[in-house]
Amino acid sequence: MIEILASSLRVATPLIFAAMGGFLCERAGVATICLEGVLLTTAWTAASVTYFSHNPYFGTCAALVVGALTMSLHSFLTVRAKANSIVSGVAVNLLAMGITPLFTKLLFGSPTNTEAIPLNERMAPLALVYLSFLLPLFLHFIVYRTTPGLRLLAVGDGPHALETSGVSPARVRYWALGFGGAVVALGGVYMSIAHASQFTRDMAAGRGFIALSALIFGKWRPLPTFLTCLFFGFTDALQIHFQSSPLLGTTFPVQLLQLFPYLITLFVLVGFIGSAKPPLAISESP
Amino acid sequence: MKTGSVLKHLGGPLVAILVSGLLTSLLLLLLGESPQILWEAFTSTFFNSFGLGYTLFYTTPLLLTGLSVALCFHAGLFNIGAEGQLHLGAASIVGVALLMPQLPWYFAVPTGILSSMIGGALWGFIAGFLKAKRGSHEVIVTILLNLIGITFVNYLILYPFKNTQVQNPETLGIAKSYFIPPLSSLTALFGSELFRTTPVNFTLFFSLIVAVLCHIFLFHTAKGFELRALGQNTSAARFNGISLTKNTLLVFALSGALSGLVGVNEVMGFQHKLIEGFSPQYGFTGIAVALMARNHPLGIILAALLFGAIHNGAREIEFASEKITKEISILMEALLVILIAGNQYFITQFNRFFKRGPHD
Repeated sequence: MIEILASSLRVATPLIFAAMGGFLCERAGVATICLEGVLLTTAWTAASVTYFSHNPYFGTCAALVVGALTMSLHSFLTVRAKANSIVSGVAVNLLAMGITPLFTKLLFGSPTNTEAIPLNERMAPLALVYLSFLLPLFLHFIVYRTTPGLRLLAVGDGPHALETSGVSPARVRYWALGFGGAVVALGGVYMSIAHASQFTRDMAAGRGFIALSALIFGKWRPLPTFLTCLFFGFTDALQIHFQSSPLLGTTFPVQLLQLFPYLITLFVLVGFIGSAKPPLAISESP
Repeated sequence: MKTGSVLKHLGGPLVAILVSGLLTSLLLLLLGESPQILWEAFTSTFFNSFGLGYTLFYTTPLLLTGLSVALCFHAGLFNIGAEGQLHLGAASIVGVALLMPQLPWYFAVPTGILSSMIGGALWGFIAGFLKAKRGSHEVIVTILLNLIGITFVNYLILYPFKNTQVQNPETLGIAKSYFIPPLSSLTALFGSELFRTTPVNFTLFFSLIVAVLCHIFLFHTAKGFELRALGQNTSAARFNGISLTKNTLLVFALSGALSGLVGVNEVMGFQHKLIEGFSPQYGFTGIAVALMARNHPLGIILAALLFGAIHNGAREIEFASEKITKEISILMEALLVILIAGNQYFITQFNRFFKRGPHD
């Protein structure tokens, strides 16, 4: 049981980072389905920079920058170029899926994975796990108690009102998405240089979308979202557990267990368990 | 349509193709590869029988998912659930074919096609239902339904339908009566070797007919008009007595059925079984296809051909080059989507750069 709990924390950590980054972006009123893509580019950056610099902190810093840049491409396309935010999100995801294997092949000769990083040059997973526990509290404070945070909420629910008070909604969104991208990057860092020792192709494996589900399940609030991530981590850990040790002597079809987080998120979304209303600016813009 | 207006419609996408080709060439240079291979890949995807066969094979599913996305777009809805719908469609064919292996071919083929449509339509209908009746945002619902559908189909592949004789995650083979013959069987009748050993099959013709039917439905029927009216101005359309609920359900079911047909190409036309991970993001590429064609069903035929060629060309590049992987196709798609999604912005910037007004 302890083993399952410990493993749920390990599985939940990247989800928490991705969902918290997504929280900042979506509350600023930009639909962000590109968490998956940002996880991929940042996980790749962290693994490659750490491998060549032999320093996980360089890798982490580079990943934070790349995360902010990737998400800024999304904010550039949606805010500046006025592209549909879903289309832009799809584009960023595709870009990440296309560019990471290309560069992996260029630098490491194989399209599937980067070279393994020795243990003493990796990030300590526990440090990031603790950080993922503090981050939701920190974001809760920043967003609900400080001026920049309240501006972020305002731009998500009524950009015009914010404009009349002399603040540029576009600028708030650039900052929110840049910062959000950096937060998602921590999830990428955790995946490639803390939990694992290398980047592998399609490493995110849908985590970006699961994080998005957790954000919806948590009704776009940081603390409930955090708890949801832990819960999703738990179901995933159960599934991993049953994969290795059969339940009651039969091999349990683990795919059915994998369905669970998605199904309950769907139920929430549909309004059977409370109701989930996205930030107004998201539902208004097409 | 006059020649001038056709050119006007094709102009934007053509520029986008050229620019993305240029950017990709630059990237190839950066990666230490000669951009010439892009040109070689292009010629080999169109100008030899083997390459063209594969290009057309990839065109078929992209045509169907492109139509599926476009149909919803016309009604003002965003269907990014094509990936899940096509998985359900493909699994339905296998399910039905395993249940009724004895059907003679003239029943088996229509049954297979119909079951793929029903499987996909059901999955689309759920999204439409949740949108129309519960007011959930269709994008998030379809993302979740994708995850659920793909996981569920993978379960079907690994457990109930599993071929236990082999290690690979794949289902049992379907009966021969369900097979759709490859196009090479047609060309062979005329003594030609065209398309020999390529998987392109009669589903291509079928999907072309479907595209024309979609065009007629959207632009020449009352129901199509209703859908487009809702897409253009929901409140005005509703004020005129057009039901939002009914049409949302209808368009999502139709879109799902179109995506489901991808299974016909894959299962009945090529593999004759279902393999885990058979779709290289056909559903998401369908979004790019629809966008490229500005949701016009006939334009989608051309856009699907383009993306089919990119997909196939990338495989050629991977084969020919030491340095480039086939994911370059995904990158090109991303560039095209970015260029087209932000086209207004890029055009104004371009004009400003050359000191011209936006409408010169």
